[in-house]
Amino acid sequence: MDIAELETKVIEFIASKAEKVDASGITTASRLEDLGFDSLDTVQLLFDAEEAFGVNFDGEEVRGLRSVGDIIDYISKHPPTVSS
Amino acid sequence: MRVVITGMGIVSPIGTGVDQFWNAAINGVSGITSIRSFDASSQHSRVAGEITEFNPADFLSAKQVEQTDRFTQLALQAASQAMADAGSLDSYQPRRLAVSLGSGMGGFSTFESSATRRLQKKSIPPFSVPRIMANSAAAWIATKYGLKGVNLTCSTACSSGANAIGMALDLLRSGKADAVVTGGAEACVLPLTMTGFEALQALSIGFNADPSRASRPFATGRDGFVMGEGAGILILEKEEEAIKRGAKIYAQLAGYGCACDATHIVAPDMDGQVAAMQAAIEDAGLTSDQVDYINAHATSTPLGDVIETKAIKQLFGAHAWEIAISATKSMIGHSIGASAAIGSIATIMSLHTGTIHPTINLDEADPQCDLNYTPNFAIQKKVQVGMCNAFGFGGNNASIVFTNL
Repeated sequence: MDIAELETKVIEFIASKAEKVDASGITTASRLEDLGFDSLDTVQLLFDAEEAFGVNFDGEEVRGLRSVGDIIDYISKHPPTVSS
Repeated sequence: MRVVITGMGIVSPIGTGVDQFWNAAINGVSGITSIRSFDASSQHSRVAGEITEFNPADFLSAKQVEQTDRFTQLALQAASQAMADAGSLDSYQPRRLAVSLGSGMGGFSTFESSATRRLQKKSIPPFSVPRIMANSAAAWIATKYGLKGVNLTCSTACSSGANAIGMALDLLRSGKADAVVTGGAEACVLPLTMTGFEALQALSIGFNADPSRASRPFATGRDGFVMGEGAGILILEKEEEAIKRGAKIYAQLAGYGCACDATHIVAPDMDGQVAAMQAAIEDAGLTSDQVDYINAHATSTPLGDVIETKAIKQLFGAHAWEIAISATKSMIGHSIGASAAIGSIATIMSLHTGTIHPTINLDEADPQCDLNYTPNFAIQKKVQVGMCNAFGFGGNNASIVFTNL
């Protein structure tokens, strides 16, 4: 999956979980907080993303993920480790 | 001061809603089938009382479904029925509205699935802990309805629901609450819980090919209990306040008694059962000869049904044969922490309707079980005083007495 394709998929995925916005309102610069995800929602979002993208969100760096772009970066840098 | 029941809700293997449940119960419908919720082919006991037509998404948001275990979802469904049945509680201050709930295993479904994921080195759902904790259901009920007073959860195995209802009575009598949402919820038709009860040789294993006959309290050939699931919720308040707000009143919750065997962690003990029943009757200000109906604990284990029969004979003497007894578990199996809440609803409906539901599969009674268990067909009988028994692991015995006003 190239980066553009990954961006589209992550944005679509986040849109499917967001209660307030659809994909057209989300960019890589969007902060999760501004999309309506509080800290607990974000934890749940990342858990669901593990299943969707086959990536294990683990370790301290996960706590620093604040924006849509952060999540895309993380997924692109971590090879799939889990299967859904 | 009298405490009354003004609302009821139930989710059970034979029906959701009191009307559906009661109609099935008085017609002796079995809710026991081959297990459908998971592949039970490796279990010794492959039958259960499952709730099949239940979709939490019908009444919870996707987020709420993700954050709740099945036992909480069942409790929320039963609570919504009970709250609607009771009518508005707006006349009470939110801090005076309490919850007292029972569950033996809490969110064990989440425990099993999260433990499985962890052992596979996968991440676990972030809400695993708040889904598993036993007080999850009570907390969700409080949150949904703004019940800001006392919030208790009782976990005394199979007597959890009875103890929770008893604790609710205590809250009202002691003045710590004006209305209480109480009852029990359980969802443990699961591989690990069933394997655990199988290891104790507590579950029925001889009726896998004939599920509806597996739960057979007091009958010959019974070989253990059948796992069940469900939730029963009651709304309790003081009679004068209930009348003031124009609520419909089903019955009075008149007495509660409990006693611990303090002898064995799983074996039943007649003395403890007698003590709990006696305490409940005395607490209600009644005498044993006034009891007309007993909703027996009666799980369909070879030992338990005989001990309960002996306890009833010990306490009631010759009057024991005049009491109509029935076993709700013959139809729905054993829903652990929900069982006494569901049994209480059956008892209240007997008081309310003058009909006693049958104990099904009772074609031939065990010679050691020689009381009137209302075999196979409902009977009409005016019930003024009904008692619900619940005896749990830990040597916990609890009885609750309901009366017609």
